[in-house]
Amino acid sequence: MTRFRGWYWLFLIAALFAIVAIAVARGAVSVPLAAVFEALRGRGDPTVVAIVRDLRLPRVVLAALVGAGLAASGAALQGSLRNPLAEPYLLGVSGGAAVGAVIVFALGFTADFAVTLAAFVGSVAAVLLALAVSRVGARGQRADLRTLLVAGVIVGAFANAAIMVALAKAEPNTIRGALFWMMGSAADANWQRVGWLAASILVAGGALVYWAREIDVLSLGEETAASLGVNAEKSGRRVFLIAALLAAATVAVAGLVGFVGLVVPHIARRMGLRAHRPLVLAAALIGATLVVAADLAARTAAPPTELPLGAITALLGVPFFLVQLRRAA
Amino acid sequence: MLVAGIPLGGVSVLLFRRSLLVVPVLAVWACADSRAPSLGGNDDFGDPIRIGASPTRIVSLNPATTEILFTLGAGTRLIGRTKYDSWPDSAKLIPPLGDGIQPNVEAVLAVHPDLVILYASQDNRPAAGRFRAAGVNTLSLKVDHISDFRRSVLLLGAVLHDSARAKTVIDSVYRTLDRVRSATAHLTRPTVFWHIWDAPIITIGSGSFMNELVDIAGGKNVYADIAGPSAQVSLEDISRRDPEFILAGPIGKAQIASDPRWKIVRAARENRVFAVDTMVVARPSVRLGEAAVSLASLLHPGTLR
Repeated sequence: MTRFRGWYWLFLIAALFAIVAIAVARGAVSVPLAAVFEALRGRGDPTVVAIVRDLRLPRVVLAALVGAGLAASGAALQGSLRNPLAEPYLLGVSGGAAVGAVIVFALGFTADFAVTLAAFVGSVAAVLLALAVSRVGARGQRADLRTLLVAGVIVGAFANAAIMVALAKAEPNTIRGALFWMMGSAADANWQRVGWLAASILVAGGALVYWAREIDVLSLGEETAASLGVNAEKSGRRVFLIAALLAAATVAVAGLVGFVGLVVPHIARRMGLRAHRPLVLAAALIGATLVVAADLAARTAAPPTELPLGAITALLGVPFFLVQLRRAA
Repeated sequence: MLVAGIPLGGVSVLLFRRSLLVVPVLAVWACADSRAPSLGGNDDFGDPIRIGASPTRIVSLNPATTEILFTLGAGTRLIGRTKYDSWPDSAKLIPPLGDGIQPNVEAVLAVHPDLVILYASQDNRPAAGRFRAAGVNTLSLKVDHISDFRRSVLLLGAVLHDSARAKTVIDSVYRTLDRVRSATAHLTRPTVFWHIWDAPIITIGSGSFMNELVDIAGGKNVYADIAGPSAQVSLEDISRRDPEFILAGPIGKAQIASDPRWKIVRAARENRVFAVDTMVVARPSVRLGEAAVSLASLLHPGTLR
């Protein structure tokens, strides 16, 4: 088993900064590195300044935040639910967000904040519904936390069915808007969105780090948790809710960017991390690096066309994961 | 789409299918290749074309062919259309039978058509097979390019036993196109960015009839190097290509005006954004001439009279 060493942190942070620097420097317009630094400080050609400060930088930062949020959420869920397949999108978060987005598209609102807000409200509603369903499943007895996972999947399936029914009757523009939204993208980044997501991640991510010890205990199993004096059901639900809110915030601003929440926590564990405080933090760093790299590839791999971000995260994530798996074997 | 996890996969595939023909502009985006115009014995699915007695009960499941049928004087023989057919106005009086992609076969057979006209996208192959199996004469046509329009009109003229009128329709459209082309031929060609969709930004490539229209109207599409009918592009790349004009629908024009990030594109900053009537330029059909005239009068005001 690999042991996680202190200098790995330096490596993870350096990798993130390196990819962020490359991503800000590269794009359709080739800008010399010196001009990029000038532009960051607001000097030089105003068009270059606008490209670097208003287009690339918010986009890169948004991609990093999306990756960090999804990966941290996945790490917390996999630990507390003790299921390596748990990931935020499986728990009704994506389905609920999509229902919210489809509803506002159908009502004809296309304003940025309307879609963001509706997606967020939709995913929170779906998660609360999943929690309620898991309670019904438990019939007053102590609920097995795995019921939560099943409840999330069921709510997600219901949400998807609702989307299909709604879109069967929808106007073409509604379908188009919803379809593109579901593909996931960081292309519409602006500082407002970045600020909103950064605040959400600070609050929800901070809460996960704060309650990381409880995730550690939960990951040992509910009976062990009970014997250690932790109310497994209560703290399990709490982690579930926080992790879902974290994922919901990313979905609201960037649509569905798959695979990060599932695979990045595994990569972090393969580096030798077991305790959830460092695991959540490392997953966030790796997730941020991966999504920034994926977005860079989405922008630059097939010019002048942009590729769908979610597909790229999977294309980059799978080989990365396989290498890790091989090394560990 | 695997990005959304297993459950959403089905949804998005379905959405994709639905959105193809349904959204006229997206149809452009989805259907790539153009076929050489020919009046051979087969339609675009390779099925033999049956020219028998002139059909009297026609279902047209493509807004472009519905437009053609009306101009060929067969509007009164139409007994079914898609829910998206909106031109001419009298088309709206024909009962809508649902979608044009993966149509409701039962609903179409229930009105006892003697000719069904389908849009020849792969999604429609099973439906074409079913209509044929039910003994209904079926004609599957791809109408994606100006040359497709010409071929479709000739074919439909032959099926309706009115080739003379078909030639008149083609002549009138082509004469207008030629008039616009020759009026703008000697002028300098401004570069044009065509804004189809805002988030993400979708534009047209040289595989779209809208690219042909821009050429005829005396412009030059800045994304003519994209071979497909359409593609997603970035604001940064648009600013690099620095188009002289932006064409957009009325909604798109408002979006460009309200989003400060568009200011990095000079044409947006200097307010050279034209609103085009998306209903006129949306289909490669009988209003191609009108579309070319409207584009030319935007790009070269005063040239046509």
